[in-house]
Amino acid sequence: MHILARLLAVTAGIIVCVGVTLPAQWHVQTKGVPMTPAGTPNLEAPAPKLADGTPDLSGIWDSEKVPCDEAKLPLGCIDITLGFPVGFANIASDVPASDPNDPTPFQPWARTLVIQRMDNFGKDDPRARCLPEPGPRMWASFQMQKIIHTADSLTILHEYMGQYRQIFLDGRPLPTDPEPTFKGYSVGKWEGDTLVVETIGYKESRLDGQGRPLTEQARTIERIRRVNYGTLEVDMTIDDPKAYTKPWKTRTIKLALLLHTDLLEYICNENEKSLQHMVGKGDAK
Amino acid sequence: MRKTDMRRTMLVGLVGVLLASSVQAHHNFLAEFDPAKPITLTGPVTKIEWTNPHIFLYLDVKDDTGKVANWAIEMGNPNSLIRLGWTRKAMQVGDVVTVEGSLARDGSNLVNARTVLLAGKKMFAGSSGGK
Repeated sequence: MHILARLLAVTAGIIVCVGVTLPAQWHVQTKGVPMTPAGTPNLEAPAPKLADGTPDLSGIWDSEKVPCDEAKLPLGCIDITLGFPVGFANIASDVPASDPNDPTPFQPWARTLVIQRMDNFGKDDPRARCLPEPGPRMWASFQMQKIIHTADSLTILHEYMGQYRQIFLDGRPLPTDPEPTFKGYSVGKWEGDTLVVETIGYKESRLDGQGRPLTEQARTIERIRRVNYGTLEVDMTIDDPKAYTKPWKTRTIKLALLLHTDLLEYICNENEKSLQHMVGKGDAK
Repeated sequence: MRKTDMRRTMLVGLVGVLLASSVQAHHNFLAEFDPAKPITLTGPVTKIEWTNPHIFLYLDVKDDTGKVANWAIEMGNPNSLIRLGWTRKAMQVGDVVTVEGSLARDGSNLVNARTVLLAGKKMFAGSSGGK
């Protein structure tokens, strides 16, 4: 195919199918994809199974993205034409933390802190210092992630910063006093076709771009379901009495299976130069 | 212009129009740049850093008095452009480009690029994106 025509086809494909397929010129094709009678990938086909009969969550997944809406994203959305991950800025709802109608059951100090973080444009976000994110924040991401699922464990490789997360499925209990880490300590078990993941042992961190805190007292529950071949859904409950007055549910995060691509290396500290230029509201020259 | 150069320029123009930006930011755009301070710079590329978390271009830009200053241009990260068939060799040191973008809030010679024009054609944008 002529290179211009090929690029046009590829780019049009991205606009139409963002979050589902990537450029067809990628040099590797995903094998074993169920096909429709028309010869296209059948993403509505049933989820594949592991040998033990549980759903196989393996694949490269991309968070659901929607057009950016300035009214709903006080931190701004400059040039976000390929879409904005649902839940990236606000994992609770479309109502910002600064709005009295925000449903997050903040402790008073936590609400004050989040509003301060928003006023400062998120300049102190650990992401800006190339630090990793807690598991709940990983789901609503700009970058794709690869799940490697075996009977005993679920390993998530995130292209963003080359992060990884382990969820143990071998029946081990949660440790009583785990060493705090960014990802925490996660174990999972099946309830029907839903993988229920419980995590404790977090370091102080943030749940989203607005800066909802996650503290060392947090216990999170993630309910992960592969609803069909091409779709993953994650519902989360945040139980963190230090920051919130009661356990609360995040919005549902959906992810789409990506075909015909690979993770690419992303080392955040390779050439990080932005941090030194970041200023909060009122600090600008 | 050689045929291959023209093809390259047309290709990148097409990508620029439809892609408009790379959004895989590692930080909030507004913490570093002010969208209310647009700026346009033109000059030869003196250095290219095709790196994560951001691609950086450096341009020598002459002001109204003839004084030349070097500007850093922050863009998105390489991975999304690689997936579009872009390569690290698409732009070369010495290419004269025009950058449209937003000034850094801290007053330094730093711009976030919305678009990059090469030989009058929109090349690609690599905005740092936002949150």
